[in-house]
Amino acid sequence: MENTTIPISNFQLAFTVILVLITGGISSFLKLGLLKPLIWGTIRTFVQLTLVGYALTYIFQFNNLLLVIAIVTLMCYIASKTAVKRTPNVFNYPAMLAFASLLASTFLVGSIVTVLIIAPEPWYSARIVIPIFGMILGNAMNGIAISLDRLYSEVRSGSALIEAMLTFGATPWEAVQASVREAVRAGMTPTINSLMVVGLVSLPGMMTGQILSGADPRDAVRYQIVVMLMISAAVAIGCLILVGLSYKRLFTRDGALQQSILQSRGDTQ
Amino acid sequence: MHFQFNDITYTLGFSQSRQITVSGSVASGNILVVHGYSGSGKSTLLRILARLHPCEGGEAYLEGKSWLHIPATIWRASVHYLAQKPVLFEGSVASNLFKPFETRLLSKKRPAPEAARGYMKKLLLKESLWEQDARTLSGGEAARLAFIRALLIDPKVMLLDEPPAALDEESRRALHLALSQWLEGPSRAAIMVTHNDDYEGLRRVSFLDLGKQQRG
Repeated sequence: MENTTIPISNFQLAFTVILVLITGGISSFLKLGLLKPLIWGTIRTFVQLTLVGYALTYIFQFNNLLLVIAIVTLMCYIASKTAVKRTPNVFNYPAMLAFASLLASTFLVGSIVTVLIIAPEPWYSARIVIPIFGMILGNAMNGIAISLDRLYSEVRSGSALIEAMLTFGATPWEAVQASVREAVRAGMTPTINSLMVVGLVSLPGMMTGQILSGADPRDAVRYQIVVMLMISAAVAIGCLILVGLSYKRLFTRDGALQQSILQSRGDTQ
Repeated sequence: MHFQFNDITYTLGFSQSRQITVSGSVASGNILVVHGYSGSGKSTLLRILARLHPCEGGEAYLEGKSWLHIPATIWRASVHYLAQKPVLFEGSVASNLFKPFETRLLSKKRPAPEAARGYMKKLLLKESLWEQDARTLSGGEAARLAFIRALLIDPKVMLLDEPPAALDEESRRALHLALSQWLEGPSRAAIMVTHNDDYEGLRRVSFLDLGKQQRG
């Protein structure tokens, strides 16, 4: 088997204009108003990815442990900012808590994968670590955003039940048990579902990439198995940590439900 | 004094907010009825006393001990607030009645099923409801279920937020009777918010008028 990528020349890349024209044609035909974002998005795709390509080349050559850690931490930070923006039911949530949960879950699961399973030489090899951590992070980010949003919406809709639990002498943690369970479940469900259909509905991006670059599909599949399972573990840990860090914010120091949660329910006087 | 609250201060409303300061007490075996027009802050007062709502000042005492020195979880199970709208959990009537004893604090106080069945009979609830899904109960049945649950918790002070609202006259009388009998036990009292002036079957009732206190 030929073990090389077929390169795309600049001339060949220019043909992607045809694809942009198709998308733009549909947008203007249906007056979707997507033409401007499409053009802007196309330009950004070219610029961002080209820069990332150069940056990664440099980082891979340099291959320094501290640099790798710094980059992964920065990725966690950006991901946490993005995650807290995707939660319509949550206001003024501190990105620091999302950052902490992403950092912990990504580093824990990522280290298991790079040190124990893939074990490159050296173990912090940027060529392995950055894509692996990136995949973990992308999925954990979505998971915690769903979890956080669900936690708040569950507590809001179930506030009467939670207060009743408090009147039974429950601690805040006991009182929000049902909501916490729902929140973590909601965050984990998409990844668990994807375990069921992977390879049947579509070939995952990473595996596709390896096959396109000439890897033996049987090897690519082994990588994909590792990736799927590491993503599930990272999402589970990330959701659990975030919900654990978050639930106390729903209560006052005296352990009563925050009035801001109750007022949105609208039946207290 | 069994239960006492001094200068409890809180603010009502958002745009035209006004501050209320209120004091009161209730002796063991007695009922304190809180009067006041709609929106005078009766429910809020009960919620503050149950430590479910923040207040700006004042202090409450249970058997002479300040709430500053009693952990919130213990306080809330001892000064038990029964919401106006009965709260029902998923599951049967029986599982709802024993829900409080799933908390760590009350897990050792779990009463026998006979006690719960006895209260059901007293509150005119049919035996056959025991296994029924609690969410299918009528408003009146749900209110009595929540009241029985409060009796089973057996707090030191019961805070009742308009318990008879959803009840017909017969069940209301049954509730008053059960409440009076419960109050005969040692170290128990009740504070009740109510709109109607039906106190039939209740003894040793004193009154607190929120409307008057805030004008003064």
